[in-house]
Amino acid sequence: MIRSMASQRSQPEVNTPQSSRFTDRIKRSLSSILTKFHAGYFRISLSLGGQALLWKTLIGPTHDKSTLRHLVHKFHPTAFLVLWSFALFILILLSLLYILRCLFYFKMVKAEFLHHVGVNYLFAPWISWLLLLQSAPFATPKTTSYYVLWWFFAVPVVALDVKIYGQWFTKGKKFLSTVANPTSQISVIGNLVGALAAASMGWKESAVCLFSLGMVHYLVLLVTLYQRFSGSDRIPAMLRPVFFLFFAAPSVASLAWESITGAFDIASKMLFFLSLFLFISLVCRPALFRRSMRRFNVAWWAYSFPLTILALASTEYAEEVKGSIAHLLMLLLLALSVLVSLGLTIFTLLNTRMLLPDNDPISTLHHLPTVSP
Amino acid sequence: MDHGENPVSIELQEYAEPVPQLLKLISSNEVAGFDSIMEGETPVFPNPTNSSQPNGHQRKISISISMPSSPTGATSADTKNVLFVQDNAKGFKNGVPESCVGSKAKPKGVKFLSQPMPKGSVFGEGANMNQNPNVKKFKDKRFDSFKTWSGKLERQLTNLRGRQQESESEDDSVRPSENEALPVDRYFDALEGPELETLRASEEIVLPDDKTWPFLLRYPISSFGICLGVSSQAIMWKTLATATSTNFLHISLTVNLILWWISVALVAIVASIYLTKVVLYFEAVRREYYHPIRVNFFFAPWISLLFLAIGVPPSVASSLPVALWYVLMTPFLCLELKIYGQWMSGGQRRLSKVANPSNHLSVVGNFVGALLGASMGLKEGPIFFFAVGLAHYTVLFVTLYQRLPTNETLPKELHPVFFLFVAAPSVASMAWANIQGSFDYGSRIAYFIALFLYFSLAVRINFFRGFKFSLAWWAYTFPMTGAAIATMRYSSAVTNVVTQTLSVILSVVATLTVTALLVTTILHAFVQRDLFPNDIAIAISDRKPKSHRRWFNLIRHGSSEHNADIDTFLKFANGDTKDIEAGLKISSAEAK
Repeated sequence: MIRSMASQRSQPEVNTPQSSRFTDRIKRSLSSILTKFHAGYFRISLSLGGQALLWKTLIGPTHDKSTLRHLVHKFHPTAFLVLWSFALFILILLSLLYILRCLFYFKMVKAEFLHHVGVNYLFAPWISWLLLLQSAPFATPKTTSYYVLWWFFAVPVVALDVKIYGQWFTKGKKFLSTVANPTSQISVIGNLVGALAAASMGWKESAVCLFSLGMVHYLVLLVTLYQRFSGSDRIPAMLRPVFFLFFAAPSVASLAWESITGAFDIASKMLFFLSLFLFISLVCRPALFRRSMRRFNVAWWAYSFPLTILALASTEYAEEVKGSIAHLLMLLLLALSVLVSLGLTIFTLLNTRMLLPDNDPISTLHHLPTVSP
Repeated sequence: MDHGENPVSIELQEYAEPVPQLLKLISSNEVAGFDSIMEGETPVFPNPTNSSQPNGHQRKISISISMPSSPTGATSADTKNVLFVQDNAKGFKNGVPESCVGSKAKPKGVKFLSQPMPKGSVFGEGANMNQNPNVKKFKDKRFDSFKTWSGKLERQLTNLRGRQQESESEDDSVRPSENEALPVDRYFDALEGPELETLRASEEIVLPDDKTWPFLLRYPISSFGICLGVSSQAIMWKTLATATSTNFLHISLTVNLILWWISVALVAIVASIYLTKVVLYFEAVRREYYHPIRVNFFFAPWISLLFLAIGVPPSVASSLPVALWYVLMTPFLCLELKIYGQWMSGGQRRLSKVANPSNHLSVVGNFVGALLGASMGLKEGPIFFFAVGLAHYTVLFVTLYQRLPTNETLPKELHPVFFLFVAAPSVASMAWANIQGSFDYGSRIAYFIALFLYFSLAVRINFFRGFKFSLAWWAYTFPMTGAAIATMRYSSAVTNVVTQTLSVILSVVATLTVTALLVTTILHAFVQRDLFPNDIAIAISDRKPKSHRRWFNLIRHGSSEHNADIDTFLKFANGDTKDIEAGLKISSAEAK
């Protein structure tokens, strides 16, 4: 198999000096990492980027006069800088790894692209970069470098859109009804995050364009996913945390619409409420996630980004509505998202070994068309 | 649903979880007075059967079957007479009826202390009472599996009165299989028809089908449809009286007042009867909950209460307290979290499989709640429910329009249930108008969609024939009434002759339909006496009948399946290598 070929390539010779044995060992571990690595690991950078955006919004200027917001406002800018730098560092690391993987193991990247779950995670790097761009502490939205970077990250998203969405209704084997699964919402989120970033730059038209692309496909996807033609067997049980994406998409849509129109109006409220409802609905069904919680794997990071985005939407909502219940909700969701992200970070740092398991759902799915761990 | 995938014998308590909410709220909202709405059921109350009372047996043999829910003593005196046919004469506690009336927090057990528990009711069939008591005992026991905790509740309650308790060892054979959740596939396999009411020829039921079952077992949740129909009429007459565009009709508010009080009474009656059923025949209620069509009717009580609040006459209450909205919407929220979650999690009850027009009942409640909240002046709550309702309505609407081949429950021909399509857009348009403050474009778009659907069904009225009447038809009248009310709102915003004429016409049509339905109901109740037929849908067995029985049925019915089976049988008998596969296919089909 591919892995064994990779190890053959780095077969050490018997009489080599110490240094080349060392480099060979590095090469071997690197190749084993690269083979097990896949785009799903960008969930980590997604979550961290989301957290960075959340904290940037919280410490930024606001009309909210409540005490809660005041308290949060006291979050030290340096702490935010540390968070953002950490997120940047992780994202750079992951991007480098993925670039190396593209260079050396292009076939595996191609297999990911052809897989109905893996292809959606190809949006994840670009979303992460867009989030980091938007939450950058030093970048001001209306500078040339910002524009250039936005273009750099948004064009691949649109290109992937054209490819994937076109396939949904034209290509025989990849009709939406056969490939639809909860991770398909990441493509929608990609469009919406692009719209969010564009609106913060002042580019209303591009923002509306991306927003409408995202929403139209979200509508189609929502109906298809709710219908669940093939039941829940399109994704393996270990990937159940991606169900949290159900409420991530409306939250991002609500934020994007707020950026576009300038105020948290009724459409944003409705999207926020929808996502809140879906969140409660999922939280009331812990049995759905039981099988995936048995062993730590990178899919657990799928819990964090949706929670962060929901918390962000709730802060915008609280700012608009100014009621005590809204602020209470904001506090709850903030606490939850911070706890979950922090917990996941610590857990990952403690268990780095488990981070690249042998039976990861996405990487092993390349070898077998349908597998249930 | 996850439950269906783990067919472990589960305690009833686990399934009692969704129910307690209902129980709590029904009992706190409803007047605890029972009444026997269906006077046609008095044959239920048997002729005093002092004659065939075998002595020295447990009270199970008692044939005194009144509806146990009439401690008010409002029913006829003969029931009281019958109740005394007991071993010990600790019969009717006269003190109990007074304490029942009007008290809200009365524990449920007290209600039934007054009556002996009708174990295995034997109704009105004098012949049976002369049979061998053992046979009777066996037959009575067959209803035990549907009783709460398989009759243990009744035994407990009778124990409280100090009666003798007999050993129930014979029950064990009947009980075990009934306590598991029936997977939804069983309902689809065993039942057919637009409301999944009729049993397929090859299926059998676990209760005797030659006798009339106890009244409570025959009382379906779809009876709440009457409440929906009548309370929506009350709202319609209120709007007719108060809307500016219909002022020329000079309708007085008295009609609304009368109808509203009738609806209140109906809701109280129906709810209390059903509450009794929940307490006594919990297993039957569970089975209704797992029925893919009946489950939607579990929303009907809450929608009726919402309608009552919307249609409250100004003379009774000019404005309702806001807390009432929260109280009404909380159980509704819990129920819809459960049902929509089932759709989303993709188990055996996923939408592509169970979608049917009755699902509109689950969705329309969101809009009704939004309408009520917005009319009370709330802002965020109504928007919440509107958003949730809109998203799920879109999903449902597309699914139903697609008429997926995987969907087995959609009737091929038209049936009154299709009128539910009109319900959601018309209520949504009114809710949006209330939220926004005026009948703006969003409301108009929704209203025109509702109107279109209404007309496309109305012109096909010829196809609505040949269906057996059922109480659920009342539920299908409220969309017509809703469309009439929406038209009145629209004509208040856009007042001209066309809209006013339209509102009058639609109101007249709605009233006529309701009257016709009322007449039919009364006919069925008193003349034909089959208003509550045996509720086959809840009595299906939990597995398919044995193949030999199917074979027997095939011989009896001689259907085309018969020929197909003969072919496969012959192929199997040849023993070719190719036919080994056919043989395997047969065995898998048999094993199914």
